[in-house]
Amino acid sequence: MAELAQPPRRFREIARVKLADAHIQTALDDSTDRLRTHRLHAWSDLPEVQELRQRAHEIRMSVIDDLDGHVERFTAALSARGGNVYFARTAEEASEYVANVCRRRGAKLAAKSKSMVSEEIGLNQALEAVGTQAIETDLGEYILQLAGEHPVHIVAPAIEKTAEDVAELLSAVRGKRIPPHLEELTNAARTQLRETFLNADVGITGVNFAVSETGSICLCTNEGNGRLVSSIPPVHVAIMGMERLVPTTADLAVLLKLLARSGTGQKLTVYTTLLTGPRRAGETDGPEELHVVILDNGRTNLLRGRYREMLACIRCGACLNVCPVYRKTGGAAYSDVYSGPMGAVLLPLLVGLQHAPSLPHASSLCGACTEACPVKIPLHELLLDLRRDLVAEGVASWAERVSFWLWSWAWSRPFGYRASTALARLGQPLAGLVGPGRAWARVRALPRLGRRYRDRR
Amino acid sequence: MRDDAEHKADSAAAEVGARQCRDAAGVTLVEEFVANAEAVGCHVYRGTGPDIEGAGVSTALYGLADTGSVVLAAAPDEPRSRSLLPDVHVTMLAEDRILPGLDELFATLGADLPSALAIVTGPSRSADIEQKLAVGVHGPREVHVVLLPSA
Amino acid sequence: MPSVQLFATCLGDLVLPEAVADAETLLRRAGFDVVFPRRQVCCGQPAFNSGHHAAARRVARGFVRAFSRELPIVCPSGSCATMASHYLPELVGVEPFEVWELSAFLVHAGFRPLPRNTGRRVAYHDSCHMLRELNVSAQPRKLLRASGAELVSFSRPDLCCGFGGTFSVRQPEVSVAMADEKLAGAGGATIVTSDPGCLMHLRGRAERAGGPDVVHLATALVRSASG
Repeated sequence: MAELAQPPRRFREIARVKLADAHIQTALDDSTDRLRTHRLHAWSDLPEVQELRQRAHEIRMSVIDDLDGHVERFTAALSARGGNVYFARTAEEASEYVANVCRRRGAKLAAKSKSMVSEEIGLNQALEAVGTQAIETDLGEYILQLAGEHPVHIVAPAIEKTAEDVAELLSAVRGKRIPPHLEELTNAARTQLRETFLNADVGITGVNFAVSETGSICLCTNEGNGRLVSSIPPVHVAIMGMERLVPTTADLAVLLKLLARSGTGQKLTVYTTLLTGPRRAGETDGPEELHVVILDNGRTNLLRGRYREMLACIRCGACLNVCPVYRKTGGAAYSDVYSGPMGAVLLPLLVGLQHAPSLPHASSLCGACTEACPVKIPLHELLLDLRRDLVAEGVASWAERVSFWLWSWAWSRPFGYRASTALARLGQPLAGLVGPGRAWARVRALPRLGRRYRDRR
Repeated sequence: MRDDAEHKADSAAAEVGARQCRDAAGVTLVEEFVANAEAVGCHVYRGTGPDIEGAGVSTALYGLADTGSVVLAAAPDEPRSRSLLPDVHVTMLAEDRILPGLDELFATLGADLPSALAIVTGPSRSADIEQKLAVGVHGPREVHVVLLPSA
Repeated sequence: MPSVQLFATCLGDLVLPEAVADAETLLRRAGFDVVFPRRQVCCGQPAFNSGHHAAARRVARGFVRAFSRELPIVCPSGSCATMASHYLPELVGVEPFEVWELSAFLVHAGFRPLPRNTGRRVAYHDSCHMLRELNVSAQPRKLLRASGAELVSFSRPDLCCGFGGTFSVRQPEVSVAMADEKLAGAGGATIVTSDPGCLMHLRGRAERAGGPDVVHLATALVRSASG
């Protein structure tokens, strides 16, 4: 988990770099605008969308309230079908389990379909250590893997890459020049990755939802790589955060109706696949072995407290697409895994506030995220609560706490207010030189303090 | 030989038959399916389908009218890769197997789930390069649905 | 004659005294006697939004001491109206106050502004609190149209201006990038807003980097959008 920790000034430093890059700014504007518009259309085309949001919220909360029970039921149901279920308390346990599966199978090549949890635990590095090369097959993630970078958006991971960037990366791997045209780039990626699908010893996927009643896992992709990775290689390993459970397939339907509509505006992703155990007798393809790794990695800490609603997140990306701050900075400023409003809430909860102190303040609290969330997580309220925790847990700086204490002492009485503001008025020429005044005045004109309203009446 | 899935399909079909009467908008399930399937980029045929060399030809278990999806279940005679690896996927779907949507699908299937149930809505696509739509990234580039009239 | 209490807000009192005076004028024109409780200072929002609840509570108690519950409180700031009505009661442990944002109150009272803005193009900026927490977005527009103004839409009216209280100084680069987008999205029209925080931030940026005039709603209705 230490890899997820964020040094204090990271957000501001990376934000500066992204703000200065006109191409990235255009890419962020265009892609978030498009995805947001698609979601708005999809929601407005669905008359029952508000009821579905409420039901989805209730379904997710009912699972959070009995998570242990659901994990047990899921494990029993899938085991009865011949699947293997492993509950991993930590990132290390999860990586070790998967690495052991690969080692036991002598796996040289693993084909990976999108899994944010696998990034969270640093799986690819753990596999390399046992001699298994993990290739990302989601087109955007593959491009980033070739570039040695991390995804910057839940749904559109390679937002910041141009066609020229992609052409350069693919040309290097294909060993011949590929022009930066969409069709040719797509064909090159398809041909290259086809070999990966066909030759992989192990297929590794994430899980969008798991159904506790039936022991099924649901994968949603547009490309088909999730299906390929879970059908062709002889072993399929699926990794999920433990909060991904839903009780029944009827509940799954509610969430599926919201997921694609909220993420990309589609009614359903092209491939919505429900997998229930490994291949059955007589089937000619499908994995012989199915392993589902259920990951805790700090989620248990959220179960009983004020932040439990954050576990309802279905990773659709809708909050990223409406966030005015994400629009300017992109995902890298937040972390290499989770970003935008959901990242600003989840990351401090997983790694501890002291390891991500700027994230709760990387927001203007506009509330657009809460409006956009299909499962009605009150994201901006949780950010406000995290800010309170920063102070209560002593993470907020000593200088800040003293400043607010002094301010509150003065401003809780009319005399103190008058005296402090009279001083401020006198000190105006200096205001732009230190502290918050300086941060303001570097980029904006400072407001002028004249006669107060109360003295003019 | 009729198995559980076929019995379930029959009762679903009876329900669907009752609903074949036009809904408030004057649209049948079949018409709704065709409109939505074409909207996501499928080619839809009534009765006989195209003869495309190298196409993977599968039989769909169900269709979903509200999204234009075909539902494929892995089985000994329906390998998963048939609808995945070829460039062109042709699927046969009986009209009386078209259900309104996901709710009805899961209600009909109950606890009797295949090892892999693929709900496929159009050809494979990605918008990962500059947010522009590319078709046929990994899965089939073309999906052809052949609707077979009810028995 | 019915009476209301005017909550000037700390930013109003210190930085936008003319706008507060205009708000008082509007309330009088609407037929109300305006009481200004002299002990008022601040609702506590700056500290509250930064997570300093004890500090916020101390200041918010001053609000509770200053205002009576006999008369409605009207305030020319969407964010302060939200703080005082939605968050302050639980913070301090008191019964809710009847707090109105200015435009919501004026429309509720059936007020019709004078035609000061005939032929003038304005872009109205919704502050996030008013838009999402108070659901007050139709009323300011109704008043502006009634004053003769031609309303133009921002290209992305839903986007925050970037003030966000201490956010404006914790992440100043992102904050002004958001301001720049807002200023550019007004299509050259004067920007009118109901929130002193948004106003101070947008006007400050426009003065430094260039941009349209930014005017408080009360001023636009009493004098005109040219300020």
